[in-house]
Amino acid sequence: MILQTVFLAFFGLAAIWFAVIVFHTSSMVRSALALLFSQTAIGAMFLAMQTEFLGVLQIMMMATEMAIMAVFMVMYMMDPGGLSGMDMTHQKNLSIAAGVIGTVVAVGAALLVDWGPIAGAPPPEAQVHDLGIEMMERSMLIFETAGVTILTAMIATTAIAIQSRQTIQEGENE
Amino acid sequence: MSTLVVSLALLAGAYLVAVLESWVSTGRMSFAGPARSGLALLGRESISPRQADRVFFEAAPPLLLVSAVFAAAVLPLAPGLIVADLATGALFVNAALAYVMVALVMAGWGPNGAYAMVGGFRFLGQLVGYSMLIVMPITAVAMRAESLLTTEIVTSQASLINAIYQPIGFVLFMVAAMAVCFLPPLDLATAPGELAGGVMAEYTGWRLAAMRLARAALVITLAASVTVFYLGGWIGPVLPLWAWTAAKTLVVAAAMLVVGRYVPRVREADFLAWCWKLGIPLALFNIFYVGVILLVI
Repeated sequence: MILQTVFLAFFGLAAIWFAVIVFHTSSMVRSALALLFSQTAIGAMFLAMQTEFLGVLQIMMMATEMAIMAVFMVMYMMDPGGLSGMDMTHQKNLSIAAGVIGTVVAVGAALLVDWGPIAGAPPPEAQVHDLGIEMMERSMLIFETAGVTILTAMIATTAIAIQSRQTIQEGENE
Repeated sequence: MSTLVVSLALLAGAYLVAVLESWVSTGRMSFAGPARSGLALLGRESISPRQADRVFFEAAPPLLLVSAVFAAAVLPLAPGLIVADLATGALFVNAALAYVMVALVMAGWGPNGAYAMVGGFRFLGQLVGYSMLIVMPITAVAMRAESLLTTEIVTSQASLINAIYQPIGFVLFMVAAMAVCFLPPLDLATAPGELAGGVMAEYTGWRLAAMRLARAALVITLAASVTVFYLGGWIGPVLPLWAWTAAKTLVVAAAMLVVGRYVPRVREADFLAWCWKLGIPLALFNIFYVGVILLVI
């Protein structure tokens, strides 16, 4: 139990530290990968809390997602390498206020709410089984709707983004 | 104990992969070759490029090695000979292998070189192609085993190995495995002769030795995962169980390396098109087909 708390705290602090780096660095790739390692640390927190499936899933999904994000950040930011001293932060006073309020609320909720007795985690096999049953029964409609919506949006965006053969040929003729 | 055995097996496997790799590229089988060139690399100067992103440049080779070793940790050599028999083993292999791409993007961006960066981002594009072909065939394998435990996956193949039970998944997974460890013809990240080594172009001396070791460990890890998921792992007569896993793994690694000798390098756009237009429909069909067999028989 003590070891578990130590690991939880360690990975929690690591997540926060990497999150600070996201805004502290001016290199877009560093920023994206710091966000990745922040999310990986959150996945490790899940593992420390004995929720194996969620932890492994978090660690797996974030690697791909954040790397794709790095590509977009390099593509769209005017200074991807951070060599011209671009500042990542803006609206500083508002951000600081929002950050302080958010921290106070989160810490307050963590300390003041009565969480009740701590339940023991079921064995990992049971967790995988229960998650599967949950996703294929009660939450199936939600997951399927969300999945199909995202897929449709992806196909639609790609279709809009592709130049049609006709336009390319017309462009060549001009 | 089993941690030690598995680590030594991984190291020996990586060495044999290096021997095989020099054999397919030069035609000469030399068991001392990798040791000699490894020592030579350690003796050479390791130059760090100008204006490099030092953190990424230094962290990429260890991260590549770590992701290969972590994936290997959930693959069994024999019953009981496994570092961590996780309840999410088959998923954990994916999670560990996802960081191969992170390591290569870091290795590409870090050294501030054009070839390296093209190689790193090419590999990211390659991931968009192969990642689904890793996940979906494993889904079908886990469906048959009714478990994500890698040991359960092996025992589920006692009557018939998955390579025959679900051949489509096997072929797709083989291709995807070769794409993960950027072996020719899918070596778009390094592309010797075109990108001059790509992500490895700026690494010299002991850093290059670390990078090559990580790549060899990655090849053996992927070969071991093909063995566990599709070739029945330790299942086999007469020989001791671990010897079956080891022999099958080496044969798979050799097959993956030999293919690269005869097939020309695939273009990035072609690879993506084949993966998405052919690979993913086939992988979905594979899941459907395995599901039907499981329900009917």
